[in-house]
Amino acid sequence: MTRVVLVPGVLALLPEYAGLTDPVADLRAACLEAVATLGVDVEVLATGSAARVAHHLLDAAPRHGEHPSYLVVGNGSATRSEKAPGHLDERAADFDRRLHAALAGPDPAALAGLDQDLATELWADTGQLGRLGELLEGGGEAQVTYAEAPYGVQYWVAAWTTR
Amino acid sequence: MTLRLGRHAFADDATIMMAIVNRTPDSFYDQGATWAEDKASARVDLVVRQGAEMVDIGGIKAAPGVEIGEAEERSRVVDFVARVREEHPGVVISVDTWRASVGDAACRAGADVLNDAWGGADPELVDVAAAHGAAIVCTHTGGATPRTRPYRVEYDDVVRSAIDDTVGYAERALAAGVARDSIVIDPAHDFGKNTFHSLELTRRLGEMVATGWPVLVSLSNKDFVGETLDKPVGERLLGTLAATAVCATAGARVYRVHEVVETRQVVDMAWTIAGRRPPARAIRGLQ
Repeated sequence: MTRVVLVPGVLALLPEYAGLTDPVADLRAACLEAVATLGVDVEVLATGSAARVAHHLLDAAPRHGEHPSYLVVGNGSATRSEKAPGHLDERAADFDRRLHAALAGPDPAALAGLDQDLATELWADTGQLGRLGELLEGGGEAQVTYAEAPYGVQYWVAAWTTR
Repeated sequence: MTLRLGRHAFADDATIMMAIVNRTPDSFYDQGATWAEDKASARVDLVVRQGAEMVDIGGIKAAPGVEIGEAEERSRVVDFVARVREEHPGVVISVDTWRASVGDAACRAGADVLNDAWGGADPELVDVAAAHGAAIVCTHTGGATPRTRPYRVEYDDVVRSAIDDTVGYAERALAAGVARDSIVIDPAHDFGKNTFHSLELTRRLGEMVATGWPVLVSLSNKDFVGETLDKPVGERLLGTLAATAVCATAGARVYRVHEVVETRQVVDMAWTIAGRRPPARAIRGLQ
């Protein structure tokens, strides 16, 4: 079996940005729980700060087993509310709803065919989701354990087991 | 260095609010507002609710005035210490006294700290602290007699004098058997000093911090703030807080205060800017 996990590249997950209280405690718990299901060797699909987040989560979660494992970093729009980083964009909720359906299906074709121009306009981090779609072509049930937009950014924590 | 104050210990990155509780009818700031025992007790309840880690109970105002004998000082302080000990077991109790006999009785009643604002005028105070496992605050007064005002006092280098005297006092306390982690030094703004001296001590507080002894500052509403800003008592909070920010940036650990809430915010802000405390909760730009 192959295990694939998706987490958002939230900088607040990094220890260098820790405060006295954790503004993303629920998200962090969900990330660590999902990452703990990956094997010892993990291929990270992320670049830049998102890769730092991935490696921090891998360091923080105990992992076991030799099964092929992938940790993908990405998230939905950052324009879900007036206080969102990219301010409110009325198209964001529908974009995120469709993306959620593609992840939960999973629907590899929808992931491969994402409108990247719209994603850019909505400040979404979807650069790795095409690769995610390829990994999910064999099917496999999705477990979406976190799907919230607490700070105007749509996050998902999701995991898939594929053949 | 971990700070051990009697029954209580504080990590080396912790700052401490020491709230002033006067059992006096004539202290300069509150003019006897907490002279009655119940009023003093209500003040303790309030400052503990506001987050003060320590109370500093004093029975004699610092400025000159009616002489208060040892028996009268004891009657103002000792039973009250016992009451606070019983009602607030989690708070550090400091007693502001220079008299060894009063310190001894206060420690028996539950005091954790002897705050000797008059720089070792009674040489036996260190022995009392050692005997009870209490902490001691070693202040600099430039040799002033208790309850006198400075008059034409000058120093070659006030900071050098403050360091030499407080460190000397600290070493005397250590030799007497007070634990190394229970000794605090205090430059004692305005005690045996004019405004220029207190300003210089504030500006160069980092030199005192560099001695390695934990530093206490007592800035609250003092005359050097009033003279600097030309403000009477009652209008010195902003000036006090500005001086507090400078001392916090330099690394002072203990703050003897009238206003707990305001001082705590300023110290936390400065301490965080200095990189010694994380923000309470940071998400802006990090989503």
